[in-house]
Parts: sequence; C-alpha cells; structure tokens
Amino acid sequence: MRAVTLATISSLALAACGGRSGSDGASPEAAVKFRATPPLSLAAQVGRKIFFDKALSASGKMSCATCHDPNHAYGPPNDLAVQPGGRDLTTPGLRAVPSLRYKEYTPAYADLLDNPDGISVPGPGGGFTWDGRADTLAQQAGVPLLSAFEMANAGAADVVAKLRASAYSKLFRQAFGDDVFNDTTAAFNEASAALQAYQLEDSSFHPYSSKFDLYAGNKIGGAMTPAEARGLAVFSNPKIGNCSSCHYQGAGRNGSSALFTDFSYEAIGVPRNARIRANLDAAYVDMGVCGPLRTDHNPASPAAPEVHCGMFGTPTLRNVATRKVFFHNGVIHSLEQAIRFYNTRDTNPEIWYPNVGGMPRGSPDPSFPQYGLVTTQYDGGTVQKFDDLPAGYHSNIDTQMPLDARAAGSSPPMTEQNIADLICFLSTLTDGYKPSAPSPISGPCVN
Amino acid sequence: MATLRKQKRQKSSRIVRNTSVLAAASMLAACGGSNTSTVPTAPPASPPVPPLSVMIKGIVTAAAFTPGSSTEPMVTGGYYQGATVCIDANANGKCDSNENPVTTDANGAFTLAVAAAGPIIADIGTMAVNTANGATNPTRNVFRALLDQVNEQTDAVIVSPLSSEVARLTEANGSDYQTEKQNLATRLGVELGQVMTDVNTQTGVVQASMLRESNILSGRFAYAITKLDRADLYPDALAVPGGDPEITGMAGVTAATATVADTRKPITFAQAEQASFNVEGIPRYDHIFIVMLENKATLSLLNSPFAPKINAYLHAGNMLTSYYATGNPSEPNYTALGAGDDFGITDDSQWNCDATGPNAPQDLPLPTNDQPGLASSPFAATCTQAAAVNHNIVGRPNLFNAISAAGMTWRTYSESLNPGQDLRTDSVADPAVIAQDHVYQPGTVGGNTAVVGDPNLVLPLPAALYKTKHHPGMAYQNVRSAPEFKFSNRTMGGSQWEDALKNSTMYAIPAGYDFDQFGSDLVSGDVGNLNFVVPDQCDDMHGISVKGTDVATAVTVTASDCSSVANNVPNATGGAIITRGDNYVDSVVKKIEASPLWNNPQKKVAIVLMFDEGNATSGFNSCCGWNVSNSTVAHPLTQNADGSWSVDMTVNNYSNGNRGHGQSVWGLLSNQPSAPKASVDSDVYSHFSFVRTLQDMFQLADPMNDASYMNRSKYTEKFIAQNILNLPEYAGSADTHFDSVRPTNHAFAIPISYTQKQSADISTPAQVGPDPTQANIWALK
Repeated sequence: MRAVTLATISSLALAACGGRSGSDGASPEAAVKFRATPPLSLAAQVGRKIFFDKALSASGKMSCATCHDPNHAYGPPNDLAVQPGGRDLTTPGLRAVPSLRYKEYTPAYADLLDNPDGISVPGPGGGFTWDGRADTLAQQAGVPLLSAFEMANAGAADVVAKLRASAYSKLFRQAFGDDVFNDTTAAFNEASAALQAYQLEDSSFHPYSSKFDLYAGNKIGGAMTPAEARGLAVFSNPKIGNCSSCHYQGAGRNGSSALFTDFSYEAIGVPRNARIRANLDAAYVDMGVCGPLRTDHNPASPAAPEVHCGMFGTPTLRNVATRKVFFHNGVIHSLEQAIRFYNTRDTNPEIWYPNVGGMPRGSPDPSFPQYGLVTTQYDGGTVQKFDDLPAGYHSNIDTQMPLDARAAGSSPPMTEQNIADLICFLSTLTDGYKPSAPSPISGPCVN
Repeated sequence: MATLRKQKRQKSSRIVRNTSVLAAASMLAACGGSNTSTVPTAPPASPPVPPLSVMIKGIVTAAAFTPGSSTEPMVTGGYYQGATVCIDANANGKCDSNENPVTTDANGAFTLAVAAAGPIIADIGTMAVNTANGATNPTRNVFRALLDQVNEQTDAVIVSPLSSEVARLTEANGSDYQTEKQNLATRLGVELGQVMTDVNTQTGVVQASMLRESNILSGRFAYAITKLDRADLYPDALAVPGGDPEITGMAGVTAATATVADTRKPITFAQAEQASFNVEGIPRYDHIFIVMLENKATLSLLNSPFAPKINAYLHAGNMLTSYYATGNPSEPNYTALGAGDDFGITDDSQWNCDATGPNAPQDLPLPTNDQPGLASSPFAATCTQAAAVNHNIVGRPNLFNAISAAGMTWRTYSESLNPGQDLRTDSVADPAVIAQDHVYQPGTVGGNTAVVGDPNLVLPLPAALYKTKHHPGMAYQNVRSAPEFKFSNRTMGGSQWEDALKNSTMYAIPAGYDFDQFGSDLVSGDVGNLNFVVPDQCDDMHGISVKGTDVATAVTVTASDCSSVANNVPNATGGAIITRGDNYVDSVVKKIEASPLWNNPQKKVAIVLMFDEGNATSGFNSCCGWNVSNSTVAHPLTQNADGSWSVDMTVNNYSNGNRGHGQSVWGLLSNQPSAPKASVDSDVYSHFSFVRTLQDMFQLADPMNDASYMNRSKYTEKFIAQNILNLPEYAGSADTHFDSVRPTNHAFAIPISYTQKQSADISTPAQVGPDPTQANIWALK
C-alpha cells in the first residue's frame, strides 16, 4: 500500500486545470480534476476532426466549432441572437445556438418522459435541439450539416464527398472500414456517429470543473460564499426562485446529478425577437415542439388545440453566466435580464412585450424599470403579452413559480437581493474554476 | 468441592484460596490493560511446589458447521482432541508449560491434577482436532470454565463455547455463574440443567439450539484469541472515543476532524473476549429486523402529522440523523444494503439485464412464463439496455452469503407476493383477489376533516406490489444461487389483500402455503439473525397506481392511499400513502414487540426503521463511501496477493453508481430494558456505514483486515488515505471524515466549531458542534 498525501494529488490535478484549447482549434484539454480522460476511440477521433473541419460547409468557413465554440462552453462566441450561415455566411438562422455541453445523459424525446426527479408527473421531455426533434446526438449532428442556413450542404452525398477528400479520410476508413465511402447513407451516419462519440467521450464536453462541482463533491475550494449559498437557496426554494423545478440539480437518470435541467419542455411566453429575420413575416411563429421546424406535433389545422405549442426545451444552466444570448430566440442578452424576465414577466409585462395603441412618454417615470426589453413607458394601449404565441395557445403557458401568472403590478417573487445572490450562485456553474488562494475578500458575491 | 476427586488431603486449603484470589486479581488487572506476565504467584527464590491434591476431570466439546444447507444451518457436535487444559494462573489466555497443562484425548477428555480447584481453560491450538468433522482447528481458540462450574460439575467439567460464554458474561455484567448460566439457558430456550451439559448428549431442538450457538460462540472466541495473539491494540481504532486515533497527523486526512491521540495498549485476554462481542463498538445482537421504507426525505417524515406512529417510535428509540442513501433509484440502494456497493446499477431494471458472458445468470432456468407453473410470470427472458450495465453481480461478497457462511441465518420477509410465484419475479395483478379501499375517518390522515376513502370501492390486486428491485439480495448471483435462498425468502402478512390472497388464480397455491410466515416465525422464533422486512409498494410509501370500481356508482376510482407523493413532499402536505405506511410500520413493530423473542430480554433484538433513499435536490447527495458527485474515475478495488490493492476496470458504468440520493430518517428500537433511549447520533453515515455495522454486529469482518469488509464498506478514512491513488474520486477532499465509512457507533465526536454538511432533505439548520451525548445507539445497557 502506498500512502500519498491528498495535497499532492490535488495540486497535480489543479495544475492540469490550466489547459485550454490550442490556437489550431484542436480539442481543448479542459479542466479535469477528478474526471477520467481515457484516450478517444477511433470514431471519436474522427468526430474531433469533423467537428473542427470548416471544409464540411458550403461556405468553407464554418465548422461545428464556429457556433459551438469550445472556448465558450460549446455555445455561441458572440451575442448574436442567431448566427449567419449558408453558402455565403449571410443567411441568418432561426434560433439561438445552444451549448453542446452536458448532453451525455439526455434521453430521446417522449411526450410522457419520466422526470429525472423520479416523482414529477411525466411530460414532454428529452431529445436534442430546442424542440427535441433529434433523438440522439448523432441525429442532431446531421441537422446543421444539411441546414440551408448553417453548413448548407446539398445533401448527405455532398458531405460524404467532402469527407472522402479530407485529410482524415484514411482515419475515417480505419474507423469505419475501407469501403465505408461506397455507401453514402452509411458513411453519413458514421460521420454523425463519430460526432456523437466525440461529444460523449471527450471530457471537454462534460468537464464538471465548476466551483459548484467542488462544492457538491466536498472538494477543497468548493466552500460557497454566503452570497452564493443564499443564491442556491433562492434557486431551490419553490416559493422564491423555484428554478430547480425545471433546471433540476438533484440526482437523476443513470447516475447523473446536477445537470441543471430535467430535459422538460415548457411554454413560458418568451417575447418575440424582431431581430430574427424570419420574424419579419408576422405569419411565421416558432412554436417549438408543435412546429414548424418539428413536424410531428403540428396542430391538426391552424389554431387547432395542441398542448405542445409554445414549448421549448429546458437548457442546462451550467456555464449560463458565460452566455450572451438566452432562450430559444436569443431575445435576452444577459443573465441578469433573463432572471428579471422570470421575475417580472407577470408583474411588469409592459417592459417585456410591445405596447399597441399607447402613447409613448418622452421620458419614463423614474420608477419605470430600464432592464426590460421595452424601455419606453406608454400611456394607454395594450401590452401584447405572449406576443410570440397565438392567443389560442396561451393556455399552454406554464404557471409554476416564479412565472405563476400573478397580477400585473403585484410584487415579484424575488427581491433585488435575491436576484443578486442568484447571479452569484449561477456563476458557480462556470467550468474551469480555479480556487484562488487566498479567497477574495471583496466583490458582489463574497458576503 | 464434594464433586471433585481428592486423592490426598494435605494442608492445601490455604494455597487453594490464594490461587483463586490471585487468579481473580490478575483477571481484574487484565481488564485495566496491565501486562499480566508478572503475576506474583510465589517468592521467586525457591518456589514451593504445592502437592497436586485435586483432580479435575472433564471434556472439551466442539461444534462443527457444515455450509450448504438448504434449510437451517447444519452444525454437528464433537470434541476437541489434542487441546491442552490448565488453570491459567497468569490469565494470559494460554496454557503455559509452567501451568502444567494436560492434553485432551480422542473423546475430548482430560484429567487435570492441580493443587487446588480453580477456573480452567482449554487452549485449543492448531494441532487440535475437532472430532465433529475430523478437521484440525484452523486458528487457536480458548474456552473457559469458571471455578463455580468446576465445583458444580462432577467428574465431567464440560468446557465448551457455552461455558466460556457464561464466564465471559459474568465479567461483562459483574454478575455470577448461576445468574449467567440461567441467562444463557433462557436465551437459548433450554433448561437450566441442560445448558452446561455435553451438547453431544442432548437431542432434538435443545441440541440444535446449543450447537448453533456453540458454533457462533466458537467463532467469537477464536476471534478473541486471534486479537490477543496478534497483540491488537484495544479498543478497535474506530471504537476509540473521539475518533480514529490512527489518522491523527496522517497525510491526506483533514486535520480538523482527526484529533485523538493514540494511547491504546495491546489487548489482554479478558479484553479480547469482550471485544470480540463488541467489534468496533457494535455489540452482538441475536436478531435484527430492518424495516425498509421508500423514498422520503427527512423533512417529509420527521414530525410529519401523516406519520405520528413512526415519529413516536423515532423519538422513543434512537436515531441516526445524518443518514444518506448511496444510489438512485431503488435498486442500487437495496443492492448497496446487501453488500456495500451498487456496482454501477443506476436504474430499477430486471436482474438479468445486460448480464452476459461471465455475468450471465447461473440460476437457470430463468423464471420465465414458459416454465412449469409460471405461466403468469412477467419475467423477460432477455434484457438489453443502451447503457449495457450488468445487473447480475457475480462473485462479490455480500451480507447474505457471509451470514450463511458463519452458520447464521437471514430472512427476507416480503409482503403481497402472489402465492406460488417465483420470488425472482415481480408480482402480478390478479382480478380474483379483491380488497376494500382503506377508509380513513376524520383526524386519522394528517388531520383530515373529511373521510378519506370510498367504502364502496373494491380494488383488484394490482401488479408490482412486490418488486425484485426492493430485495437487497436479488442482484447477487451467489445469493439467488444459495442453497438456502428459497428457504430464507418468506411471506409477510398485513397486506390490504391478505385475506383475499387465498382466491389467487395466477399461480397454483402451494400446499400448506403460509400467507404470513413472518407472523408464524415470530411466534416460533424461527426468524433470521438478519431480517429484511420489505412491505409492498403501497405499505412502504412508494406508491403505485391502484384502481378499482365503486360498486355503487360503477365508476373507476383510485385507491385512497397508494398514490405516490414527492420524495421531498413538505411534511405539512404529506399524503395518505405516508399514513398508510405509518400504520403498516406500526403493525409490524407491534407484532415484533409482541413476540416471545422480543420479550426474552436475554435475546438481543433490534428493529431498524429506515428508507432506501431521500431526495437531495441540492446539497450533498451522499457521504461515507460515496462515489463523489460526477466523478468518472471510481472503480472497485481488488486485492493483490501481496496485500496491496489494484483498480478493477471490469465493471461497466461503475463510475456512475454509488452517487447517492439524499437523507432520510433512521430509527432504532431495542428490546433491551437498560439500553439507552432517545439518543441521537448526528455523525454522518450511509448505507455503507450500516453494512459495515452489520458486519461488526455479526462478526463477519475483522477491523485489522480492511479486505475483510465487503466492497465499499471498507472505505474508512484511513483506508482511503492509504489508497488514494486507487481511489481518485476522493482526491482533493475538503473533509475526509465526511467522505469515509465508519460503523454507526457514535465514537467520533464532532468538533466544537464543525458545521454539519447536509442536503436539502433536512429543513432544519445545520448542527454546529457535537451531539449532547456520545451514546452509542446500539449499546445494550
């Protein structure tokens, strides 16, 4: 038996945390503290090549990593609501780019998915993309490769031809067989499977290297500050933030825990984003699970009752503090604004939804909040609450705290202190945390 | 003295008295830990040799256990040939040559010539032969007979494990021979005149009872001698008040909780005998009943108005208040309770799922519906899941096999089985078995003001009241293959459908079927040493869908009290199913407490009320041997020939297991009138701690040998620190006490400024500092 000091181990592990992706865009050697890093399988090695290969796009300028930037938690590197793509990189997308991190436990979509908390009533959940229409990471991988406003390949054959001509075609053959390119469908599926293998195997897609992970794992450096601990309480308290109701942080499926999502779909009435070009057409409404991108839950006829209309997936909140676009349409651009939307959607709908027919004031009252999407104060008129969902589907809107449909003008669920604390807590979910020594003694999240 | 043959009457009475006094004095000194090698027997110059005026004749009896019985343990009687017998004048637990020992013959008989009668010992070395099975004795053992016994018995002083136990008890209790002889007879259910006799002359149930106990005691006394000969320090490290002294100043251990200096000294013979019945501070119990309940966080149960009866038991008995589950969902928790590990199982799937190659089931044929008599079996012949996690654990140590291998017994008592079903399958629905809905009057369900339940509702037996996922031995191949498996798995009554199960149609009801073997066994005493009491999925608070028809309205109605509530339902909200479980627990406890077993204070009997898992929506999922949250580096360990440890990489998905699922209430009731009551131990414990506790309780492991503790139950603070390279999930720990396993003995004292870690399953503020008392919840007095 060899006795070794814990301090030695932890300092070695911490030293390993410094690594980040190289300038060539290769796989980041992400922070790994108590995570294994076995060598990638051949398929995953192929997946890594594909992931960073710009030649796989019609523009020749876009790889998976362009939007799913490893330096931004495999999410968007900028604050654009939607990213440009297509042959000339001028065609705007339809939805904000989700992070590819922490997808390894996501099950396929089901209308009645068992909730990972083991007890909540089964409901729509699982799947990939904002509407769950891809069952697996492999299926999801095919979507951007063929989307006209993303990598814009003409079809599977187009992708396979590029793979065959790639510098890693030999590796591809090695992984999937010498004659793999002879069958276009099979080769495309193998490419998708390779991307899945890469995301499942490479720990940079699930590093669990946040301060929260140190805290939940009883590790040195994980002691929460009072502000962070209060924020966690806000996050969890069903009477205040109730965030954990959907952004589930407990133990879940297959040994997972603290994924900060329960994979569920909810309609919460995110305001319409006029900056999405498709939204210039008033007839175009992105209703998530009920279409139009997803096609298996479309209303039987326009405006026919359909409970899935308006539902979008619950993303993980890991690394949420690093994002600059929020919700499926990217209409919100800061974490604080997203939290304030939850807090005041019902109490102050006038700051989130457009007013029709009202008279704008030259300058708003001092008490009129400036953190919303609408900073102009109107006299009269009608606030177009839930302006991105046809009125017939407003009954689909979830009424859980903190979006409990309380009356406009009533008190919001969270105080200013709650919001500040919550932001502090959510900031502990950012990967790559390095405990500083000594601990900071000032700043908004210390006391 | 009249019973002793006196060959010469000389002036020996003074020496007799002196010898007795000196022996007793040295015995007492031994209890204080002093070295006994300098017993002042006589002036050193020219010791007078007292005349050997007294002849003590007797026999040394033996018991031999033969494993493999498909029913009760098979123990046969015999004698020790080649043991030495002497008066152990220096009380060192050996027949030294200057103590003039004699050797037993092929019938275990000896004749000892001594100057005066005294207490004697049989020193049974590794050359001695147990005539019960013809085997040489594996490790040195010592049996004793007190002077009072020597005086009492005629030409045949029976030196046996039972005589030794009487001797030990007089010292443990400060009592005398006659008292403890009576107590032992009472405990074994034999006559006073039988308990000290040659077991080989007894017959029937008396002999069986004496033999079974003799075998267990032999093991305990042999272990005492092993400790003595090894010069173990006393007490065991994890029983030292304050905490493990071995880790103080040790590298890789959190200093704040490792503060006790090691002042222990080598164990004496007298200490060793007591210590072997108190391994790591866990006293031996005869019977323990572990009542398994489902899925409730501490905050949902503690002081819940829906569970007044359980709360009354919790507060009247003893509690562990920082007790953590080790897995999620049920199956990994029950599997961990069976052996201290879940082996990467992270779902409730059938036990043959992905069990292929070396993990393929061996208890063939599988209980599928093509087997004779099993037409209604729901068992799927094959099960392949995406994660490819093996659900059939092959070749791992577990409590069931260990209990049986030691000549003890285990039982699982499962409620609401289909009569005639194979225990390896879930129970099925039966429309012919009909029960009335439970109707609760106002004030009986969390303060209800209206009646709950429908008196016109009739409920056919639903499927899945019994689930194999709730059997703590089911995942283990060697448990399902054990010869005693069928014998040891038994029915338990009290079901809502109990009276109607006789109408069962799904399987042929076996002749003489006992619908409540639990009740029968409590009356007969044929319960196990280790008993898992497993209510059905309504009575354990789990909840399933139970629907029936209201005969008045012909409307389909859901049963009043079997709908699930959240694991962390606020205790003010509760739910009827909690009250249902509360009532069931009350009936089980009352049944046990009414049994002859419980009311025989010489039998040490305990009831544990516990939950498989809590909720842990935030805070710590587990502790104490857990696989630290989201580590992907955990693997089981295997021991190499040289005693070192290596990582076992063969268990797929292992690193996803053992991650825990929060905290639940944990209560202990004891039948010992002098045992501490209402004592609370808030040190952190998990299922692994409990498994370690049970190994200590039944002396299934040896604290000096980490490998003797099964699976993750060996992960003490010291073991982890010594093996940190193989246990990288524990690297960088902020609190090594929290991460590690210890028995539930309350030896560790929480430092004054230490704030308890806890999950969101506890709604009260975290405790700071030590408990009001350090009372051991298991203490017998």
